[in-house]
Amino acid sequence: MDNKLQIGSKFKMAMFALIAVGVITVIAGFLTGEATRTWANLLLNNYYFLAVALGATFWLAIQAITQSGWSAAFVRVPQAMGNYLIVSFFLFLILFLGIHNLYHWTHHDAVLQDAILLHKAPYLNLPFFAIRYVIFFALWIFLTQRIKKLSLKEDQLGGTVFFEKIEFTSKVYIFVLAISFSLFSIDWLMSLDAHWYSTIYAVKKFVMAFYHGTAIVLAIIIILNKLGQFPMLNKTHLGDFSRWLFVLSMIWGYMWLSQYLLIWYANIPEETVYYVPRIMGEYKNYFYSELIINWLFPFLFLMWNRVGKNANALLFVIFVLIVGQWVELYMSIMPNTIESHSITYVEIGTFLGFAGVFALVIAWSLTKAPLVPRNHPYLQESIEDGH
Amino acid sequence: MYNTRVRGILIKGNKSFSDVSRDIIKPMDDKTPMWWWVTAFLATGALFWGVWGFYNTISTGIGTWGLNNNVAWGWAIINFVWWIGIGHAGTAFSIFLLIVRQKWRTSINRAAEAMTIFAVMAAGLFPLIHMGRIWDGFFIFPYWNTRGPVWDNFNSPLFWDVVAISTYFMASFVFWYMGMIPDFATIRERTTSAIKKKIYGALSFGWIGNAKGWLRFETAAILLGGMAAPLVVSVHSIVSMDFSVSVVPGWHTTIFPPYFVVGAIFSGFGMVLTLMIVMRKLYKFKDYVTDGHLDAITRILTFMSLIMGTAYLTELFMAWYSGSEYELFTFMKNRVTGDYKFAYWTMLICNGMIPQLFWFKAVRKNITIVFIISLFINLGMWFERYVIVVTSLSKDFLPATWATYEPTITEIAVYSGTIGLFVLGVLMFFRFVPTIAISEVKGVLKETSTLKSFTDEN
Repeated sequence: MDNKLQIGSKFKMAMFALIAVGVITVIAGFLTGEATRTWANLLLNNYYFLAVALGATFWLAIQAITQSGWSAAFVRVPQAMGNYLIVSFFLFLILFLGIHNLYHWTHHDAVLQDAILLHKAPYLNLPFFAIRYVIFFALWIFLTQRIKKLSLKEDQLGGTVFFEKIEFTSKVYIFVLAISFSLFSIDWLMSLDAHWYSTIYAVKKFVMAFYHGTAIVLAIIIILNKLGQFPMLNKTHLGDFSRWLFVLSMIWGYMWLSQYLLIWYANIPEETVYYVPRIMGEYKNYFYSELIINWLFPFLFLMWNRVGKNANALLFVIFVLIVGQWVELYMSIMPNTIESHSITYVEIGTFLGFAGVFALVIAWSLTKAPLVPRNHPYLQESIEDGH
Repeated sequence: MYNTRVRGILIKGNKSFSDVSRDIIKPMDDKTPMWWWVTAFLATGALFWGVWGFYNTISTGIGTWGLNNNVAWGWAIINFVWWIGIGHAGTAFSIFLLIVRQKWRTSINRAAEAMTIFAVMAAGLFPLIHMGRIWDGFFIFPYWNTRGPVWDNFNSPLFWDVVAISTYFMASFVFWYMGMIPDFATIRERTTSAIKKKIYGALSFGWIGNAKGWLRFETAAILLGGMAAPLVVSVHSIVSMDFSVSVVPGWHTTIFPPYFVVGAIFSGFGMVLTLMIVMRKLYKFKDYVTDGHLDAITRILTFMSLIMGTAYLTELFMAWYSGSEYELFTFMKNRVTGDYKFAYWTMLICNGMIPQLFWFKAVRKNITIVFIISLFINLGMWFERYVIVVTSLSKDFLPATWATYEPTITEIAVYSGTIGLFVLGVLMFFRFVPTIAISEVKGVLKETSTLKSFTDEN
């Protein structure tokens, strides 16, 4: 049970190749005069993988506070995903170079002529924006690393002391994340259109992170299982994971509806302005596919009991969800940045580059600790689950 | 496997299966205690006062209430939303805790579901009486119309409410009742009274506890539970849409549906906590509803309270962030400060701050303090609805029409009547139905309630 993971050189090469593709794409994007598009894609993918990492660690914290036993064998996967936050901090730094391309409110002269932006300036100004960014990342990294360290100490020393400490830290993390990630989403995504606002916007993004983060946790577990790890993984575990995805798909759809229905119904121009380019223009197809991919398909497909217990079927659902999250963020970002729609090599290449970084960081982090925690108090419960 | 070393003993006292049946059925066989009669007397008094309020409203009209042109929704809607919120706990217990596999719910879900039924009944009275012409109440149901081309307004969230709540009521009732069938059969087998044997025999639908019966029972429970889960969410989402589809500042905000649902479950859990502390004290159920059970509820309440607090802050922040002067006025001048600041701060302190005391173990372990905090939650959630309904209506876009609102004695009477109804319902439940799900407790008993040593497990 103590075997640590080894990274194969083929995998490493492949990931480095993806990263190279990403770097070349970004450079080419700037050189070919697609600066705004490239910045928008950098933002999209930065946010994409940050959300996945945060969602996974949030899922981990939820397991701790609900005292869920069944998942105890798999906690190392979301713990490893937490390491991406450190890398993400630096990758987000790049965006500060292109901040004026993305955010209208960063232009000082534009703000002065705009009553609403002027009103928001005490919050939406670059120094405060940067301070928030640093504080949020510092909190996330500190708390997720603390949970991981406690878990590793538990491996060595055992007992329930660390288990209780992890539970407490998870509570704090959930509290911190609820507020910080909400503001983070407002800062980096909602303020792309600084005039528009919706109270549920950040909540929806939070659910998106939770939903897709959980999906990626499951994907990694299934893939590792196919590579011979996690021998205890059985249909009951898969069923539990798929139930999470099923419920989260409903919650996600619910958030989508809450925002759309209420804005559509009240029909106030200040609010509908957000949906106009998304429904009436070129983005129309994406608008509907966002809902179908992220809610309707998983909802109907996972309702089928056999799917929830079949690893390959679940991998397929997760693949669809990976696309789904991209479409959601594409819809959040692009209509306010590049305006006219088209998918070019920039979109694809940047995504591949980030995926390479993400996979490499996770794989490397997974090698650093035994894949199955040794002394988790619920380990036995988790392994025997379904027997 | 349930690790009792870490998770603690779920049912205390090393009970056997027959101990469980005996303990839980005992209060039903005992002589009706004095406190029952006293409470029933008081509740009936409240109910009669409520009947007077009803009579007054129907015979004279809505004019007997303190409503005016602006504040057209007063106590009736506040109380309606409050009761509906309380009516969320039962199903939340049964379903959501099932999803995250919380075995401790088995001692509590029966009482929580019963509470749901009576709370929804109390809630349903308010929209009905609010119509004024109660005899036209059937208009709200989408039936084949015989009065010409007059249909319900399908665009109206008020109509969605009727559909959602009646569906929810039926589903929760069936779910609750079905769970009781094996327990009714247990009573039928144990009782010595011929009348009881007949009645509970009929209620148990001839349940004999055979394997096939259990198999179907469990399938039906899962199916009904699965269907009830979205219903819980839908009901309060739609209640929130009564407000949020409008353009009124303080009402129209996209966070309302989830915010209402969380608030509802929060208030429901608050009421469950109140009720459980009373029940385990009166019926000496401390082995079944242990301190650990109450501890778990308080933890959930802490979490919910944080969500509520975050939602309040989000609303305030967004009111400022929006830059809309109407939003700013409603939140800063008419809630945080202004005529309704008492209600606003009561809401904020009772829901967002006081439950945070549960972070301290000493507070969670002191049942008296826990009980008091649970009452604060019930109070705070009432004030939340007061803040939402009254503040936004009293001062809207046209200052010339601004008005204030005070409830009249009739409205207070109707409210107390519904409390009487709820309490009477709960008393009946205490008296005639096993208050803890016997069969479910037995289902988790073996695994969760004997202390195994570490060596056994590893």
